Amino acid sequence: MSALSKDKTASSARAAHHKTDRFTRLVKYSPRFLLALLILPVLGGLLSVLLPAFGWAPALEQTTIGLQGFKALWQTPGITQMATLSVATGLISTLLAFLMTLMILAAFFNSLWLNRIERLLSPILVIPHAAAAIAVGFLIAPSGMFSRLVSPWLTGWELAPHGIFPHDPYGISIILGLTLKELPFLLLMALGVLAQPELGKKLRQQHKVALNLGYRPMTAFFKVVLPNLYPLLRLPIFAVLAYASASVEMPLILGPNTPPTLAVAIMNWFNDVDLNLRIKASAGAVLQLALTGSLLALWLACEKTIKTLCSDLLTNGQRDYGGDFWHKVIIVLTTLVIGFILLALMGLVMWSVAGFWRFPAALPEQLVLLHFQSALMQMGSPLFNTLTIGLVTTIFAVVLTLLCLESEQLTAKPLSRFTSLIIYLPLLVPSIAFLFGLVWLQQLINNQTAFFNVAFTHLLFVLPYVFLSLSSSYRRLDPRFSNVAASLGATPCKVFLQVKLPQLFAPILIAAALGLAISFGQYLPTLLAGGGRIATITTEAVTLANGASRRTSAVYAIMQIALPLIGFILAWVLPKCFFKSARR
Amino acid sequence: MPVIKSWPTLTRYRSYWVALFVFLGICVGISSSTAVTNTVASTDEDQSYWQQMETHGKNQDVYFYAWGGDAQINAYIQWAAEQIKSQYNINLVHVKFSDTSEAVSRVLAEKSANNNSQGSVDLVWINGANFATMSEHSLLLKHWSNKLPNFALTDPDNNPAVTFDFGIPTEGMEAPWGQASLTFYYDNLAIDGSATNRPPTTLNEILSWSAQHPGRFSYPKPPDFLGMSFLKYALVTLHQNSPENIKSQLNQPATDQNTALVLTPLWDFLDKLHPTLWRKGEHFMQNGAQMRRLVDDTELSLAFTFSAPEVPAAVQRYDFPESIRSYAMDDGSLSNTHFVAIPYNASHPQSAQLVANFLLSPTAQAHKQKASVWGDKTVLIQSTLNNDQQALFKTSEPHPSALPFNSIKRTLSEPHPSWVDAIMQGWEMRYGVSQ
Repeated sequence: MSALSKDKTASSARAAHHKTDRFTRLVKYSPRFLLALLILPVLGGLLSVLLPAFGWAPALEQTTIGLQGFKALWQTPGITQMATLSVATGLISTLLAFLMTLMILAAFFNSLWLNRIERLLSPILVIPHAAAAIAVGFLIAPSGMFSRLVSPWLTGWELAPHGIFPHDPYGISIILGLTLKELPFLLLMALGVLAQPELGKKLRQQHKVALNLGYRPMTAFFKVVLPNLYPLLRLPIFAVLAYASASVEMPLILGPNTPPTLAVAIMNWFNDVDLNLRIKASAGAVLQLALTGSLLALWLACEKTIKTLCSDLLTNGQRDYGGDFWHKVIIVLTTLVIGFILLALMGLVMWSVAGFWRFPAALPEQLVLLHFQSALMQMGSPLFNTLTIGLVTTIFAVVLTLLCLESEQLTAKPLSRFTSLIIYLPLLVPSIAFLFGLVWLQQLINNQTAFFNVAFTHLLFVLPYVFLSLSSSYRRLDPRFSNVAASLGATPCKVFLQVKLPQLFAPILIAAALGLAISFGQYLPTLLAGGGRIATITTEAVTLANGASRRTSAVYAIMQIALPLIGFILAWVLPKCFFKSARR
Repeated sequence: MPVIKSWPTLTRYRSYWVALFVFLGICVGISSSTAVTNTVASTDEDQSYWQQMETHGKNQDVYFYAWGGDAQINAYIQWAAEQIKSQYNINLVHVKFSDTSEAVSRVLAEKSANNNSQGSVDLVWINGANFATMSEHSLLLKHWSNKLPNFALTDPDNNPAVTFDFGIPTEGMEAPWGQASLTFYYDNLAIDGSATNRPPTTLNEILSWSAQHPGRFSYPKPPDFLGMSFLKYALVTLHQNSPENIKSQLNQPATDQNTALVLTPLWDFLDKLHPTLWRKGEHFMQNGAQMRRLVDDTELSLAFTFSAPEVPAAVQRYDFPESIRSYAMDDGSLSNTHFVAIPYNASHPQSAQLVANFLLSPTAQAHKQKASVWGDKTVLIQSTLNNDQQALFKTSEPHPSALPFNSIKRTLSEPHPSWVDAIMQGWEMRYGVSQ
């Protein structure tokens, strides 16, 4: 009996030892796995676009290296307009969003209003681009909410007026849509930086010191806080810039089509009946890559110039630059932005339940649930696809991220700069440039597993955000808990699962909700990797956005917003329930 | 308390179990989306041929690539999927595309990747230029549609509409699905019928009406199907009084020589029309669906469609105001048939044929023709149907917004499909980039 139990103990000890070993090994290899997972598809995809761009496409029986793709590209009518539109909308919207972020931060730094604005704007973050574009379109169209509110009593319009929005040739609608969507992202990124305990505390204290030295609050922000804050904002800004210059959803729903933006044109060429257009499309993707690259370089150059030019300003001692005036301007602007967003969302909700709603009535003649009923009846499989792809991708991303962060702590070595940069690679390389190559690769390997292809492609975009969201909380964990646990004989695996993970419960849920939201919102990756076979709420919403029924597209946009919102609400509520019951 | 208890339980699992679990999840996903393929030889006898088809086509998935921009059509396809499921246990999966050319390029891509038997497209909704492209590249399965039992109900011997697609013989590569004529509709609150504001009934009246009421009419940007149809209507109408030798060019392939000659009247007409259009002709809507939405927005007062019954149906779903009225042009209505086709490399060609035959059945065609469902005109010829079948097509009182019965006085046939390309290229060069 005793021999038996002794034997059992020994074997279980051996097993424990064995498992610890495996866990450590798993953890140690996870960063390399992560790197391979991100680098291979992106670089492979880029390569599969570069080769056809220079004329090498054996599948099309083209094997002569040359510039015919680029020649065809230059001969496309309106190619310069396409490129200009892409660059201008990308740059201006990013600049506007960035400036607004700075002004809001400067005006409300260290004030309660900052938190209120954060709370008001953060739900915007979960709105997918397509839904945001649909909502903005409802507002600015000639028959949109704005002109309904002033008609006919002010304008005398009985029919919708002639207007240029949306689809204006200057890209103003695109800029508006992108700015409104990127502003909350940049603001929340900045607030995230300020929420880091040490840095945030230091900056707030320095700000206070500056105030005591007689600097006006806004001046103090620009002179003291911004120089420390900006380097941490650079990466999110780059992601925004890269996205804005090459995005497809917004220009597709809000942009002009004579000609469209470069990214939209590339997508059309890739999908064209004439397969030879793919050569031109690949050349276009290379051009897009160059444009986005130059935009990033331009931003860096401007940043350096401004830094040199303004270094004197930082130390000249001037306390005030018309702060009161600017403060008022910012309050008005912020109110306008928030009002605009609220009105857009209200319009969305009203369209989704509207019966007849003839211009210029400000409210629908009757409210009906017909559109929701008929949409929900057809929504089954897109909804199922959206959820399963989102869950599979997010769970995988969260597990992998946790393992990588754990490896950082086990080896006591922070991830190299190279690795950190690679994690953000899918956000910095325009997706239109590498996705087509990736799809081509996926077709070569297998073409039946659409679900896997889509989930894998989503992972490329979900991973960076999950990593971004989890890493700071993970690195902030108090090491003393783990040290105590380890000194009591707990294996690294046990420490990871029983000490660290429970402490990280809330951040993990937030990261998962973010991952789900990102996955839910993907349009181009879903469309391309799935070959159109995998319909999600987002692909349906974009298809219907330019479809016949505003009411149906409103329903889909609302579904698009509701799904991630539910995720975030769960992430916010669940920890409270858990910890409440734990305290009892 | 019970919730927190689950933590230690959970943490007993090692993390690689979690990883394994995720991996398994992915594998399940793959296997469920991997289609099973099955190929069979066919026999000569039509009867036993069809019996074979039924035995081998059952219990499969059929990926039906069809334009998905219209909720009503999507709902009809879903209805058809349910019927087919109960009849043959076939899973009809509607793959929604915003443009049929995307499906065509998919099959082309598969052919270039040497995928000759496991294609992702089983059935595709198609006609005109896309059909011409696919048949030119031999991307379609041949000689099947004429063997469908229900094909006889279209009276193919006396009905060229089901055996020719834009003048090109179908050679059994596609089964007819529905019929469409270009009909116009207007908002009678905006076009009130007064002496200066009557709905235009000829092409020239469109020009003069649009000049008087600028910005209230436009057409979708080519290569959109509907926009192209308007241009073809204009082209054919403009040549109605041309000498026979020029007129006959419309039924022949476009060449470098005849293109300028035939298309010049069209460009002259468009040069006059465009400045009077919506957005001054500098921006065009993406597709017919967007045009419909702009009518509801009251931005446009006059528009057109290839499927007349969608108008009353849209009113019933509140997508149009009740003031919409339909009518046909006095100088002719462009007419054509739309089809379903099977790519040569379809994974489930037998099942796809069962689906195509069902779509041709009196039940499916009658359901489709109902204004409340889709309202697409049937391709079946009434005289081939028995009384019960004919009764299926009887309709009650027409909707006020519907096209009045027998209002199409003359039909215009489609020009040769090669003109689509010629028009598109010329259009793109002249108007594709706004100045």
